[in-house]
Amino acid sequence: MAGRTISDKVIDAHSADDDGTAAYRLVRVDAVLGHDATTALLIDDFERRGLTIWDRDRVLLTNDHFSPPSTIEYADISNKFLRFARDNQVTNLMLDRGICHQLLVEHRLCQPGGLVVGADSHTVMGGGIGTCATGMGATDILFTLVTGTTWLRRPETIAVRFHGELPPTSSGRDIVLELLRLLGESGAQYRCLEFHDESRPKLSQDDRFAVANMAVELGAKFGVFVPDEVTADYCVRRDGELLATPVLPDADAVYERVLDIDLSALDARIARPYSPGNVVPVSEVESVSISTAFLGSCSSGRLEDIRDAAEEVAGRAVHPAVRFIVIPASVEVFKQALRAGYVETLTDAGATFNHSSCGACGGIDKGVLGADDVCVSTSNRNFRGRMGHWDSRTYLASARTVARAALLGRIGPDLYRNEGAR
Amino acid sequence: MNEISGRIWLFGDDVNTDVIHPPAFYSLDPDKVRRGLFHGYDPKIQQEIRPGDVLVAGRNFGCGSSRETSVRAIKLNHVGAVLAVDFARIFFRNATNNGLPCLTFTRQEDLLSLRQGQHVTVNLEDATLVTEDGVRIPLDQPGAFVRRIWAAGGLLSLLPNGSDAAR
Repeated sequence: MAGRTISDKVIDAHSADDDGTAAYRLVRVDAVLGHDATTALLIDDFERRGLTIWDRDRVLLTNDHFSPPSTIEYADISNKFLRFARDNQVTNLMLDRGICHQLLVEHRLCQPGGLVVGADSHTVMGGGIGTCATGMGATDILFTLVTGTTWLRRPETIAVRFHGELPPTSSGRDIVLELLRLLGESGAQYRCLEFHDESRPKLSQDDRFAVANMAVELGAKFGVFVPDEVTADYCVRRDGELLATPVLPDADAVYERVLDIDLSALDARIARPYSPGNVVPVSEVESVSISTAFLGSCSSGRLEDIRDAAEEVAGRAVHPAVRFIVIPASVEVFKQALRAGYVETLTDAGATFNHSSCGACGGIDKGVLGADDVCVSTSNRNFRGRMGHWDSRTYLASARTVARAALLGRIGPDLYRNEGAR
Repeated sequence: MNEISGRIWLFGDDVNTDVIHPPAFYSLDPDKVRRGLFHGYDPKIQQEIRPGDVLVAGRNFGCGSSRETSVRAIKLNHVGAVLAVDFARIFFRNATNNGLPCLTFTRQEDLLSLRQGQHVTVNLEDATLVTEDGVRIPLDQPGAFVRRIWAAGGLLSLLPNGSDAAR
């Protein structure tokens, strides 16, 4: 038998049919994730058919798109969603606790080697700790809520091996933007990206979440890190003990392709409008005034992102023409940032903290962009019209780059010049 | 729904879900969802699109969000089918689950011969596209699994009690 990748093993271990050769496998899932905006779309069908949830302990629901709601329509949608969750006695209903993907990885439902589906494309982020997690639409999720199963096509796997030492001013964001530069928006379409961290020191857990989160921007079904001591540390800190046996790829696993990335040479990256694949080194980007800086989203609103930004702005002032919005990915992240003093540092510099939620990332909550706005953002998509007006422009970069641009009032090739002098 | 007949609306590569359906039109109100189709890209498309029309695109159609409002907006405007070089996986699942046929070109270069506004017929049974000029363009057979969902009228009809459901 040929060697198997992580996703091969996880799909086999969760199969609910007995046909290993079928193009589509019926699989059992370990958990289902949903949020207000997408779960609300399935409620009428669910209730009209008189359905019930297969295992309410394995469902995690949260309101993150409308948190708290900004319009009457969104408040009504939010209430419908909350009533659905309560009527069905969903054990893990989290009210205004943060972005669903962050809440999932803060929860023991998300385990290395597990299989999770969620009603949002960024569910792939669970791969940051070795979980095969993937996003689906409302109809798929309804099916899984009722049956505990779904259909999956076995994906081919692309192995991505990280080597070298990541420069101190670069982060997971720069890594995944570099992958987007190399592979493009459909470079991993239908594939599993399997990340092998051979760098020294190893990438932090927050960096890994940033990479896994945007695997979907490459078209991937899964973006899964090979679990190691970083994963184990994270899980033990979270769960008190190691609950799952990590699933590792075979030494002779069959990959469609292997990509080697030397992190030592990786300086800051930025994605220009209107594609996350439109990536250049910051040192080559045009000089453009910005009106908005956004540090948040499931992609990069975690403690290390907020730390990097606080480090940059400490004792300085945000440019007077810039609105700098910071949204911690979860209330737990916010509390950690408070304890570490980052919230005060950033607030003193002129940043505005909003409640842990998706914010303007999806273009439907507070902070959306007007026609003339130019935004530099740690979110995951800069599609035209995504964050607001069709004519607004968004650049995607790391938290450090966003903070530097917020201070300067612009992006430009000089953001990281004279690094030694800083 | 074996034969679909209408005009072509031509698009390029990487048409994402925010372009298909801007976030501002996210709603549970079908009329609002319907009006949002391609609103930022070109608001005239939604006004001019007619039942049976066919969206034709390049690579990676539907990349981005899992929000099913993008598929709902296409369906609420009675688009008959989407043809592309290939599809983003979540969009493909959502469309298939809701009975919106998504087919891929057997020969990628056939895309270049198609024109905006051209009248075409899509035959789902034998997976072909026939233009008003009588040119036959082969599409990939969607496979038994997808056909099973189409035949059932959508994924929800495959639920254990799906046959009882009114559809």
